[in-house]
Amino acid sequence: MATAGKVIKCKAAIAWEPNKPLVIEEVEVDPPQEKEVRIKVVASGLCQSDLYFLLKDMNKHLFPLILGHEAAGIVESVGKEVTEFQPGDKVIPLFISQCRECRFCKNPKTNLCEKGSVGEHDNIANSRITCKGKKVRQFMGTSTFSEYTVVNQIAVAKIDPAAPLEKVCLIGCGISTGFGAAVNVAKVEPGSTCAVFGLGAIGLAAVMGCKAAGAKRIIAVDINPDKAEKAKVLGATDFVNSKDHDKPISQVLTEMTTGGVDYSLECVGNVEVMRSALECCAPGWGVSVIVGYTNLHDITARPIQLMTGRTWKGTLFGGFKGKDGVPKMVKNYLDKKVKLDEFITHNMALDQVNDAIELLKQGKCIRTVLSVSPQ
Amino acid sequence: WSSVIQCKAAVAWEPNKPLVIEEIEVAPPQADEVRIKIVATAVCHTDLYHLFEGMPKDGFPAVLGHEAAGIVESVGPEVTEFQPGDKVIPLFLAQCKECRFCKSPKTNQIRQGAMVGKESRFTCKGKKVLQFAGTSTFSEYIVIHQIAVAKIDPAAPLDKVCLIGCGICTGYGAAVNTAKVEPGSTCAVFGLGAVGLAAVMGCKAAGAKRIIAVDLNPDKAEKAKVLGATDFVNPKDHNKPIHEVLAGMTNGGVDYSVECVGNVEVMRSALESCLPAWGVSVIVGWTEMFDIKIRPPHLISGRTWKGSMFGGFKGKDGVSEMVKAYLDKKLQLEEFITHNMTLDQINDAIELMKQGKWYHILVLFINQWVHFK
Repeated sequence: MATAGKVIKCKAAIAWEPNKPLVIEEVEVDPPQEKEVRIKVVASGLCQSDLYFLLKDMNKHLFPLILGHEAAGIVESVGKEVTEFQPGDKVIPLFISQCRECRFCKNPKTNLCEKGSVGEHDNIANSRITCKGKKVRQFMGTSTFSEYTVVNQIAVAKIDPAAPLEKVCLIGCGISTGFGAAVNVAKVEPGSTCAVFGLGAIGLAAVMGCKAAGAKRIIAVDINPDKAEKAKVLGATDFVNSKDHDKPISQVLTEMTTGGVDYSLECVGNVEVMRSALECCAPGWGVSVIVGYTNLHDITARPIQLMTGRTWKGTLFGGFKGKDGVPKMVKNYLDKKVKLDEFITHNMALDQVNDAIELLKQGKCIRTVLSVSPQ
Repeated sequence: WSSVIQCKAAVAWEPNKPLVIEEIEVAPPQADEVRIKIVATAVCHTDLYHLFEGMPKDGFPAVLGHEAAGIVESVGPEVTEFQPGDKVIPLFLAQCKECRFCKSPKTNQIRQGAMVGKESRFTCKGKKVLQFAGTSTFSEYIVIHQIAVAKIDPAAPLDKVCLIGCGICTGYGAAVNTAKVEPGSTCAVFGLGAVGLAAVMGCKAAGAKRIIAVDLNPDKAEKAKVLGATDFVNPKDHNKPIHEVLAGMTNGGVDYSVECVGNVEVMRSALESCLPAWGVSVIVGWTEMFDIKIRPPHLISGRTWKGSMFGGFKGKDGVSEMVKAYLDKKLQLEEFITHNMTLDQINDAIELMKQGKWYHILVLFINQWVHFK
């Protein structure tokens, strides 16, 4: 492409400070260095984790940064020693890399990667993006609220050229995270009973995963009754609103299921809900998976909950290894085994990112897909 | 027809007080029940927990003890599985073989209410005395439901295999059944009482390459190494938190950790000592007094937190397997026995355990003297 080897000036939404609106700025994106790929970001979703770091965690040392980690785009140019990708490839950036060489990549038990796990490949010294003369952190290594981004090739997944980027961008985080939490991490078995707490995109994807895994009963739990309908479209058999009951939610669910669910998934990011999700599992074999993220408080539980046989787990990105899992999920979508369209409630342009943030804060959307660059 | 037996037992009349050797009345076994002459029993931390820590108001008077071996004295109507003379081990975690838990290979739990609600068969000075854990083995005779009795090989020496009634299975099974330690892996065991030592033994049996034994008492190191530990770490020797010490020793964390203390801070450290990507931590030590706590990212990054009772062994199946393993010399028991006493000396045994200077397993021979009404 004509831009190969040159700095690209383009648009990006910069978070200059915590807890402030993002600002659309012009940025300079360096050409990819050795083993790197420069990607034109076509579409990006907005995820609660982006908001977590902007509005809750608010670690000043991380700013200024460019958020966004759930996207799809097209390779614009590649650096030296890149053989896996070429300009024009459709790709999804990965916030968890897959180098295929480290002991984690070689082990089927985990999807972490020692070379570039979350929080490590967003070292500001390595950033390829500057704004007003300052390096801007490529948050989570992806920074997809930018028309162009540069990512190490170990953190890029090549996808089917037939894939519609404005849909499959969601596979970059939310859909894979929720679906995989059920299928890969909880390992939901056919005929089982599941409970999913929180019916945002992750929770709905978890419902979809429980259904794909053959669960007989999927109880969707939320404090917003408007969420019930979509949960049922995606496979939930029951909906429970915790606010409708005086009893603790774990007791309500235990009674509905003669002793507790086989699998529960927490898709909210709240430590009280995480506790309830554990407690509503059946003793003996119940498995509870924490999917929602928070590092602000401890989770707590009575030891006897585990001693009587419940298992407590958690997951990032639904346990999918990035380069292997993402193309499979894209293929599943193309084969109509995974739904994406039902998750997209709003489409906006990158310029409207602050409106998208407001919608998500208020719980008034499932997913807003931001159109970042034209294809 | 069986009659009431009058015999000796150590009765806990009140919490936090010494046990008193009393004469008690043990009723004959009713339908589905078995009366057992206890030959040997040991003291376990969980007995002390009831007496000194948990101290439930409605938990006294009681006869404690749950780790024992004995001989069937008589059986109640409808009992076909056992007959007088059988060597048996009572089970605090029964196995009915009928409920959905017994039918699932995933667990050794049993349906609620299987043991609860059964009336005590003990009286003393006209009062009903509770049978702790349904077993109450600090008594020359006990009566117990047949779903809570495991028949064992007649060749088994009861003064050794009594330990299989709790501590050995609890620790060994935590490693083998619950953590599912894999060959070549690295393990850490926190707390080197009998349960911890049994966990070390289990990690070794499962083929662990490296077993790091952790305790505040350096005297515990030697026996841990006899049972298979490759390293010993005393947290007091380090300025850093123990999980950082262990992570530093193991390129990021252990594959499996087992908590055998019953302290929620140690449970937290045990989880944090595991490798983020695939570490599994199993809680074995007992407490009902405090919550466990952890920051969610520890689980979100890939660690698994589990717990188990009785090492995940189904009572009847597991106990008879473990007795056989001992007879086949695949399991060590003698190393765990540091003292032998009689029932009359039970308070001395309790003192020794409380002081924590010994390996917490003491075998008490029950006096053979018995008196029928």
